[in-house]
Parts: sequence; C-alpha cells; structure tokens
Amino acid sequence: MVLILVVLPSLAGRYSLYLVIQILILSVFSLGFNLLFGYTGLLSFGQAGFFAVGAYACAKILLAVPNLFLGLLGGVVIAAAAALLLGFLSVRHTRIYFSMLTLAFGMMIYSIAWKWRDFTGGDDGLVGIPRAPLAIPGLPALSVASMERYYYVVLVVSLLAIWLMYRLVNSPLGLALQAIRDSESRAEFAGIAVRTYRLVAFTIAGLYAGLAGALLPPLENTVTPPIAHWSTSAEPVLATLLGGIHVFGGPIVGAFLFFMIKDVIVRFTEYWLIWLGVIVVALVMGFRGGVVSMFARRAARAEAASDR
Amino acid sequence: MKRSLGIASVLFVVSLLLVVAAAVPAGAQCQLGVPAIKIGVQGAASGPHADYGRQIEMGATMAIEEINTAGGILGCRLEMKFMDDENKAATGVKNARYLVTEWGAHFMVGTDSSGVAMALGPVLAELRRIHFFTHAATHRLTEELVAGKGIQEIVRVSVPVYQDAIVAALIFKDRPEIKRWATIGADYEYGYASWSLFKDTLKKYRPDVEFVAAAWAPFLTLDFSPHVSAVMAQKPDAIFSTPWAGEAVMLLRQALIQGVFDQIQAWWQAMGGSVDVLEGIAAEVQRDRFKGKLWATARYIHNWPDTPENKAFIERFRKRWARFPNYSAETTYSALFIMKAAVEKSRSVETPKVIEALKGMQIRNPGGLRVFRAEDHQFVYNVPAGRVMVDPNFPIPVLGDLKVFAAKDYYRYPPFTPVAVTK
Amino acid sequence: MDTIAFQGLIGLSLAMYLWLISAGLTIIFGVLRIVNFAHGSLFMMGAYLAFTFYGQLGLPFWLAILLSLLGVGLLGLVMERFFLRRIYSIDEAYQLLLTFGFILILDDAVKIIWGGVFKIPPIPAFLDGAWRAFGRPFPVYNAFVIAVGLLVAVLLWALFEKSWWGRIVRATASDREMANAIGVNVPRVFSGVFMFGSMLAALGGAMGTPVRVASPGIGAAMIIQAFIITVIGGLGNLKGAFVSSLMVGILSAYGTLFFPVFELFFIFVIMVVVLLVRPQGLFAR
Repeated sequence: MVLILVVLPSLAGRYSLYLVIQILILSVFSLGFNLLFGYTGLLSFGQAGFFAVGAYACAKILLAVPNLFLGLLGGVVIAAAAALLLGFLSVRHTRIYFSMLTLAFGMMIYSIAWKWRDFTGGDDGLVGIPRAPLAIPGLPALSVASMERYYYVVLVVSLLAIWLMYRLVNSPLGLALQAIRDSESRAEFAGIAVRTYRLVAFTIAGLYAGLAGALLPPLENTVTPPIAHWSTSAEPVLATLLGGIHVFGGPIVGAFLFFMIKDVIVRFTEYWLIWLGVIVVALVMGFRGGVVSMFARRAARAEAASDR
Repeated sequence: MKRSLGIASVLFVVSLLLVVAAAVPAGAQCQLGVPAIKIGVQGAASGPHADYGRQIEMGATMAIEEINTAGGILGCRLEMKFMDDENKAATGVKNARYLVTEWGAHFMVGTDSSGVAMALGPVLAELRRIHFFTHAATHRLTEELVAGKGIQEIVRVSVPVYQDAIVAALIFKDRPEIKRWATIGADYEYGYASWSLFKDTLKKYRPDVEFVAAAWAPFLTLDFSPHVSAVMAQKPDAIFSTPWAGEAVMLLRQALIQGVFDQIQAWWQAMGGSVDVLEGIAAEVQRDRFKGKLWATARYIHNWPDTPENKAFIERFRKRWARFPNYSAETTYSALFIMKAAVEKSRSVETPKVIEALKGMQIRNPGGLRVFRAEDHQFVYNVPAGRVMVDPNFPIPVLGDLKVFAAKDYYRYPPFTPVAVTK
Repeated sequence: MDTIAFQGLIGLSLAMYLWLISAGLTIIFGVLRIVNFAHGSLFMMGAYLAFTFYGQLGLPFWLAILLSLLGVGLLGLVMERFFLRRIYSIDEAYQLLLTFGFILILDDAVKIIWGGVFKIPPIPAFLDGAWRAFGRPFPVYNAFVIAVGLLVAVLLWALFEKSWWGRIVRATASDREMANAIGVNVPRVFSGVFMFGSMLAALGGAMGTPVRVASPGIGAAMIIQAFIITVIGGLGNLKGAFVSSLMVGILSAYGTLFFPVFELFFIFVIMVVVLLVRPQGLFAR
C-alpha cells in the first residue's frame, strides 16, 4: 500500500494526486478525531475550529516567512495550544454536553475567522499563500512548488503522523483512554486520572486537526472561514463512521471512502448530499462498526472456520 | 411543364441535401486538433443562492447548444460540464482542479461568490486556464489580482461593485431633498465595499448629505425586522441596501410591513433587478406598494437594451427554460460567445494566445456592447438603473424610468486606489 | 426611549420563532433524551409545505398551516418509528449522527421537489398592514407571530401541567421503567412526543413563510440557534427554553441597534459560559 503511494506520482494524473493529498489530510484529521471519539468516547463537533487554527496559523506564517517547515510547525503548535486551552474547559463535560461545548467553541473560532478582517481577511480569507520551500534547520532548503513534490511532503508527514498515532493507541496511554471509554468509574477506581487523560486526548486530537489544517493552505493557496464551520467538523465524523470507529485504520479507510463517494456521486448528480445522507443513515442503522469492521468480522469468521 | 418543374425542384432539393451532407463532415472536422472544446462551468447550485448557479448553468447550456447547432467553433464541437461550488472556496478550487487536470477543460466560466473567485484566481495561474467570471463582483478580483498581481487568466464578463454603488451615487446626487442616508448591508466584503464606494462618490458631489445609520446582516439572516427598525429609528430619507437573492425579497417584505415606504423618499436595492428578486416582489409591485420609491440595478436587466438581439435572446431563453434570464445567465451566455470570438481570432485554444486575442475585443452581446480592458481584464459595458415597475409587455416587473450612464463615467480606472472595506 | 421599546417589541417577535423551534427540541430531549440534529430541517419542511398549501394550492392560510403541521408530524413519526426507535439502546452519539444524516437527505430533497429558488407566498390580507406602537408603525404580522408564540406557551403549560396526557409524558420523562411498570405504553408516548415536537418546529417554519422565505439551508441556520437556546435554558427545560428565547431574541435585536460587530461571537460566548458554569441551564430551579 505504502509502495503504491510512493510511486503514485509516476502512475496517476495530477488530479488523482490532488485527491490523494486531500484524502491523506482528512485521514490525519479523522485519526485525531477518532482518538477522542472511538478511543476515549467523546464526540466532538468542533474539530474544525482547530483545523482552522492550524490552517490560518500556517497561512499567516507562510505569508510572512516563506518556509514550509515553520508554517507546519507553527500551525501544529498553535492549534495544540488552542486545544489545550479549550480542552481544559471542554473535558469538564462528557456526552451531549461535551458535544455542545465543542460545537460552541468551534463556532466561536468560525465567527472570529469571519469577523476579524484585519487578521483573517474576513469572508475573502487569506489569498496568495505560497507553496514555500521546506527549510528544516541544518538541512538544505527543498523546493516543493510542484504538485509532485508537495505530495511527497504530505505523504511523509501523514505517514509519520499515522505511525505515531498507532504507537500511541497501543501504548499505556491508549489503553487507559479505552478503559475510560468503557467505564469511567472503573478507570477512576484503577487510579487513572480521568480528566487529565481526557485532556491529553483532546490536545492530541486538536494537534492532529491543526496538522491537517496546516497542510491545506500550501495546497489550495487560500484559507477561508467555512473551514471552521461545524459542517467541516462533520467531515471527520462521517469519515470515521464510514470506516469504522473501533479499528485503528477505520478513519483512514473512511477518509478514502468519503472522497470516493463525494467525487464519484458528484459526477453523476449534483444531489450528492442526499446519497451521503442515505449512506449515513444506513451505516448507523445497520453497520455501526463501519466498513473495516465489516471485513474484519468476516475475516475473523473465516479464520474461525478454518481453525475448526 | 408543370411536371418537369416538379422534378426539377425535387432534383434541386436532393442535390442541396447532398451538398449539405457533404459539407457537414467537412465542417465538423475540428481545425484546432482537439476532439472537442471542453468548457468547465461552476456556480452555486445548493444553499440559499442556488438559483444563481442554476442560471449560470442554463446560460452556458443554451450558448453551447446554439454554437454547436451552428457548426461549433472552427468545426470543433463544444462540451460542457457543470459543477456545484456550494459557494465554498475550497469546493470551487477542487472543482477547478478536477475540471482542468482530470476532465480536460480548455476554458472555465461562472462563479457566483467573491470569496470563491478570490481563491480561484491564484490557482488559475497554476492551472494555466482562463476563467471567465460571470457573477462574482468584488473589485479586488480585477483590481488586485489582475492589475496588481498580474494574473492573466482572470477575465471578468460581469460588472463589478461599481454598478452596485457608484451608479446609485450618480443617480441620487441629483435628488437634493435626500440628505440622510442609511444602509442595511450585507455583512461581508461586498456590503462594506459597496457602502464605502457609494459614500465616497456621493460625498464628492454632495457635501451636505449625512450617513446616519448602518445595520449589517450576515449570510442566512432570516429576519430583517430588527435591521429595518434599527435604521428607521434614525429617520433616514433613503436606504442603501445590499442583501441579495431571497434575502432581498425578505428584507423588502419586512420593510413594507413596517411602513418604511411611507417614511422614506427612496430605497436602493443594489441587485434588485435580478429576476428572482423581481419574481419574489411581483405582487407588491403590481399593487404599487413601493410607491415608485424602489430603485435597483443588476449586472444585466431583461428589458434593456431594447435591441432585436436582446429580444431574440430572451425569447429563445424563455422557450428553452420557461423563465426569464437572470444576469448570471446573460453574462455566462455572453462569456461563451466572447470565448468563441477569441478562439476564432487566435485559431487556438492555448491560454496565452486566447488572452492575446481578447485584447482590443469589442463584442455585441444580448446585454449590449462589451469592450475588453487590457489593464484589468474587465469587460466594460453599460447597465442602467431604474425604478422597479410594471410593464404590460412583461409578466414580471421591470426596471423603468431608466438612467443610463456611460460606463466610462462610473467604472474605476487604473491605477487603482484601495477601497476602504470597514463598516 | 421609544426607540428602545420599539426595538424590544421587534425582538419579541424574533424570539417567538426561536421559541417554537426550541420548544420542540426541548420536549423531545426532555422525554426521549435525544438531540434531534434534524429539528431545523423539520422547521424548513414546515415552511415549504405551508408554501405549497397556501401559496400554490391557494388554501386558506390557517388551513395551510394546519396541513403542514400534519405533514411534518407524519414525517417525524416515520423518523421516530422506523429509525430512531431501533437505536435507543446504543450510544447517543449515533442518534446525533442519524439525525445528521436526515439533514443531508432533507436539504437535498427540498431542492429536488421545490427547486433551488427560494419560495415566498403573498402576505394574507388580514395580516397585512401596521398598527402604531411607541409612535411608529408596528407590523400586524409581527404582532400575529407574538400572539401565536404566547398562545403556544400557554397551551404547552396547560398541557404538561394540567392534563392527563401531560402527566403521562412527565412520568415517562422522569422514569421510563416506572412508567412502563404502571402500564404506560412507552414506545407510543415516544412516538407521540416526537411527532408533537416536530409539529412545533413546523409551526415555526410555516408561520413565517409570507415574510421570511423557504429556501434550502434555513434548517441548518435555525438548528444552531435552537441549540444555543436550549443549552442556555437548560436541556429539556421548557420554561428555560421560553425565557432564553426571549433573552436571545431581544438581545439580538438590541445587538443590531447598538453593537453590530461581534454579535455571533458573543452569543456563543454566552452558550459556553452557561455550559461551564451552569450546565443545567440558567433557569433551572
């Protein structure tokens, strides 16, 4: 799989490459979201806020200092800081109150993006963001202006992020989060500082959202307020739901499916939302484990059969 | 004798058919070396402003049908693909990338929102494709991105905010009794820039006017009652209003029932000449509820110019779609004929050659004579403004009592000075 | 002074739309413990149906409103009976997601049925015109909206506090199992409550069609406002929803008058502060 991704630029057209970049970005975004939802049991409807913080921060940095490394780093750090701050307040609640609180925080960030014209450019957003060279201190600067080069940047960064997340969910921290999800009181009884762990999960989720957001402006050359809107928060939710919440790779598969559905349906009909809605309803009613679990279950059954 | 005449005529017709049949394959031979000229079309086809995208689609479809029926461009057939940009910059950019790099568009046309247009601009330079903008109105698209940053791929066929603001100032400078102005504005750049340009221009002619109140309404405002009552508290003589589409209709209804038209001298509804707005307020206009005080303009209006071309265009459009063309339909329709003229002149679909061919272009469209301005790639043409009224020749209201200004009197000219866009 | 009073009166009429949509959301949450994300879409459906019955078919305004309530009530019944009922037992996140799916479906469905152009029927003659209030013309229509909103408030109070039906519903809300044990048909109560809440949303939508428009996307705009109000008033608290509707409606009317810049931001700040400091709502006992 990774090999295919590495040689993709020589196989696929420019648009496919662009689409894969979008899928990778949504994968990172959704993985962070699922740490909070699938692993910790908190449904956030405000992740777009941190996505936007990452995107705007990266854009502002690139407009001032044309160095992609600084842009990405700045986007991640600032988004994580925002997540730490808002997370400190948000994890005081769980369930629906948590969802409402994150929704409100996300929309606060949206209204700032919309109204603080001097800084964010208001509804026109920030335009003309350069795909600046990647200059990591100590290494020679690398031009990433072409789509192929930028694709490799996104690929490396997201594979790194995926690998780190994989390590994380299988670490003691990840296990503690799942224990909290399954039973808060039992986790507390076992000596887990529930709120602190939730805050850590929230911050990491915000960091991943910020990283995903920061990867966007060099691709699109522009950032506008709708990326902070709650309907953007719904994208990682849908992707995760499509792929499956209880499997590590679910959000990645889901991100792929989300773009395939959107990109395929939209070619046949402009009413693609209704189909997405039907798929969501069908998934919730019948396949709550998502696509990955469906196959995982079938594989497990096959394995069990062969064991016999 | 009679019989032989009959045979002769049959022979004549048959031979004519043979000639036509022989000519068609020859004519269908595309002289540009491409299977078809592909046109990517974009507009908002979802959300509250969905009708504007639909009108873009209707205008483009009709132009392409007509061009293809007449033999295409240099024998090349036209193909189009319409995509919904959801009025979102990210979707517009994604669509443009898809249309050019995957679907193979040679040209693009459309785009409603200024935000989408501003995001598309720099991407067009990367994609090396011309996009004919046919609705997005921000002056910054042509002033900053073309004249300032030199992005050659941007071409605008529709008139920018000069129409919404400066025309109003030129009309109302001659109404000495109107001294106190207030605005109910769209709470985004379009609203701020229009109000700013209006104030600046009017002040030049009329140092005595005052701007007494402003209420701002964001996208998706469902109730304008508080905006109306807030500005009416300052007892203005006239109101300058920029919400558009369904929001304009709601605003006018809610102003009517608050008795606003008994208290003011004039109401300027910037894009009130749009077909969807006129349809929405038709019953009130019929009963003269606005008392002749409602003024408006648009980027094209269906009852002007009074030319055979325009009448024929409207007739064909109504026959094809059972509706009147909105301005985004006319501008998109015309953009495709502008593209046709430029391709025929350059005998090429290559971006730099077509841009070169646009220079100095003057072309007659249903909306009148359009002249290309090389400095900012803006097509300059006249659209009058007028009072909203009933015309027995039209089933929907029209703009009457028309004030026509020469475009040179109200378009801004390079070098451009930035417009203040604060409230 | 008159300016302030007049603006307050306008704010009161704004508040009534907010009240009708958040009343339904509150009742449904109070009894079923479900946050219906698609509640705004039901508001939108109410507006479209009222347009069809009144604007297109030419039925009397009152009858058109009544029919659109029934239509949306039926839609709500289908949503509850065939979808939500099957997933009550699982994580509430899925209920939120399911109703989110309904938003996507309904938003596109209205475009397919009614087209992309907004719809607005004429104002009924008996609601046209203005009365004088504080020296200025106050629209009869806004007065009508205020009257309907207050009437609904009184009726809901009577229904829940005084009627047999209200007692059953309150019993079910406070303890499902106990209600079941004393012979209440809980699934039926759930269906009824969901239908009733849907009809309240539809009333908000239908009532406004001649002065507001029916257009795709108004549901998504309304649902966020309804969330804000139900959170400030306390989830499931009907009195709280009424008071906070008044508060938000009137404050936003004054916001337009006095400080129009950051109004959206401040409303979310209020929502956050309430959630953090008094998650049970500002007006909980």
